[in-house]
Amino acid sequence: MTPGDPLTLCINTQTPLVQLLTNPGGADSATSRPTELSELKEGVDYRISPGGVTRMVLPLVRRLQAEHVLDDVHWVALNPSGPRTLRLGSLTLHNVGLERERMAGYGHVKEAIWGAVHGLEAAQGAEELLWTEHYSEYAYYNRASAETIQKLEKTVDFDAFYVHDFQQLAVGHMLNTLKPKIFRWHIPFDDSMIPEEWRSWLAAYFNSYDMVVVSARRYLDSLKAFGHTGKVRKMYPYVDPADFSTPSEEVVRAAALARGIPENSPVLLVVGRMDPMKGQDRAIRAFAPVAARFPEARLVLVGNGSFSGSKGGLGLSKSARWRAELEALVAELGLGTRVVFTGHVDQLELDCLYERAMFTILPSVQEGFGLVVVESWLHRRPTLITDRAGIAELVEHGRNGLLFDPEDMAKLADQMTELLTDDGSRRQRLGQAGYRTSSKCTVGSAARLEEKLLRDVTGG
Amino acid sequence: MDLTPYLLPLLIFGLTVALTALLSRLAHLVVEQAMSQSNPQVAAGAALLASVVIWLIGAVVIIQQLGISPDILLLVVGLLGVAALLSLREQLENYGGKYFSDIYSPYKVGDSIRFREHEGKVIEINAMTTILLSEDDHLIAVPNSMFMREVVVNTTPQAWRELTFPVSIGGSVDLAAFEGGVLRSLSKLRTRLDRRFPPVITTRSRTPLSTELTVTVMIRRPEDREAITLEVNKRIMEARGKAPPTPPKAAGDGRGEPPATPPPGTAPPP
Repeated sequence: MTPGDPLTLCINTQTPLVQLLTNPGGADSATSRPTELSELKEGVDYRISPGGVTRMVLPLVRRLQAEHVLDDVHWVALNPSGPRTLRLGSLTLHNVGLERERMAGYGHVKEAIWGAVHGLEAAQGAEELLWTEHYSEYAYYNRASAETIQKLEKTVDFDAFYVHDFQQLAVGHMLNTLKPKIFRWHIPFDDSMIPEEWRSWLAAYFNSYDMVVVSARRYLDSLKAFGHTGKVRKMYPYVDPADFSTPSEEVVRAAALARGIPENSPVLLVVGRMDPMKGQDRAIRAFAPVAARFPEARLVLVGNGSFSGSKGGLGLSKSARWRAELEALVAELGLGTRVVFTGHVDQLELDCLYERAMFTILPSVQEGFGLVVVESWLHRRPTLITDRAGIAELVEHGRNGLLFDPEDMAKLADQMTELLTDDGSRRQRLGQAGYRTSSKCTVGSAARLEEKLLRDVTGG
Repeated sequence: MDLTPYLLPLLIFGLTVALTALLSRLAHLVVEQAMSQSNPQVAAGAALLASVVIWLIGAVVIIQQLGISPDILLLVVGLLGVAALLSLREQLENYGGKYFSDIYSPYKVGDSIRFREHEGKVIEINAMTTILLSEDDHLIAVPNSMFMREVVVNTTPQAWRELTFPVSIGGSVDLAAFEGGVLRSLSKLRTRLDRRFPPVITTRSRTPLSTELTVTVMIRRPEDREAITLEVNKRIMEARGKAPPTPPKAAGDGRGEPPATPPPGTAPPP
């Protein structure tokens, strides 16, 4: 490889880029021929997995391939029910299988790590967890991912390995290679929250990478305070603005009515998977006094489970439990139909809901970054943003968003009221300023940083 | 043309080769099993030796059957052996030193050690020498055989805690399953091990035939070192015996349910 040559990259994530909805032609069953996605219909035969990581990495790969920064790209991910290999243009997707019986153990440990990093009390006792059967399943999955990559490497001479998200942390150590390994940590990292018994374990695995990338300056500082001496870089997550559209007023109206949202009701929109950490309960509690004053207002909650909670994924039931709790809370507060649960929506409907929203809210208790804020900004919608999100460092309170402490629901209620009573000029200013800020989180701006990252670690 | 005079010796030759192969495999398994509590590398070496001895005996028998006197073969092998021992004495000592240092010496690449007047970080252990990097950036090459005769001090902090076990598994063995088995088995020793560090399996090298690994555990009390070494060895060998081969590359190989079509509105969002 000479400097400037296109790079061959291996990407590893937990969530697969593509989930098949059908099994067209017994995909990949008896032969080793990869399933060509170009022969299938998106939305009918398959869908691109929603979620921050896949949504971020796919446009990046497409752009860098178009710019000849990347040529051959292989994407290895967990997909218990998918065929072994799929092709999406010049991207090859490799699915790692995991038997159902191993899934629960893996999911258990993954949730525990996630909880520990987010400072959840339930995650205590982590030291014990490292010696359980569940932990051996977690190691099994990471090793199976690493082995899939190693087998690929026999035929593909990769320039680098780009491993995404905390679930895959151990993969770096398990990859026996001299090639550079990059790890992208997508969730928050607060040194003060890491349980003592997890520190050595985490540190050892972080050290197996040549570069660690985090989503905000605060996480970078925290990782250094944690004692990580390796290379760390901050890079904001990003979306591809081309993925978002502005539907006509008629389509927006029809989409809202289909969800039972009356024509003139102000809509307060929360987008995020059903998870206690996403703080939907905060938004509902703050909304209760607001709803009393503005009976027409509707709080719309968009989102369902993640890949982990889906039937085709890990089948964890956290999201269903959380939704039931939220519905009980809505009933308890007497909010009835004023809170709308949409579940998962497709991109067009999501665009409609953003357009329909008066403003959006990110009420997360902890949030690695908060790409939904960027989505809201792309629709020029003002946002109320938890100060615990990584994206908060891009927000200047009162200029491109309003920040709040997710524990202070009275303040959140005040901010909701503030925007609901505004004559529109403030909302417009916030939305416009947000739109300008969104340029820092688009694939266009990120492509150069990602290219530099890849060139730096590969020396090419 | 009557082929009988040729067929019979050929048949006997074939049977002898087959029997030798069978006995060799049997000897390998018996020795491996008998040494299951020893260091895996020593056990593997002994099993290989047993196998080679059986093949040598088999070769002598085959040669006899072919009507050739085995004395000449034995003489040639013997002379070659003596010549090799004399001419490669030092190299063999170093190689032996390396072999035994892998197994018994309490240092590894990355450790800081002191040997005579030399001190430095071990950066390489090759077949002949151990290379140290001194604090003043000098490379010090110490013949491996020296480590078998001299006192070596491992100055790495808490070096006594770490036990590293070299393991070789067949190239067809499912490494993920082997690792899962080792972790499950070693979890039974957790009260004797440092709870913050679950066992770590590291791949060192691999060929189509075998994968060289190390299993690292951290112990809690120095006096447990020997007992834990024996027990961990035994458990690694057991896990190796139980590890299944890598699953074949085909869909529907126990990788969960077929793709489900989720009902509208229940697809997984972020």
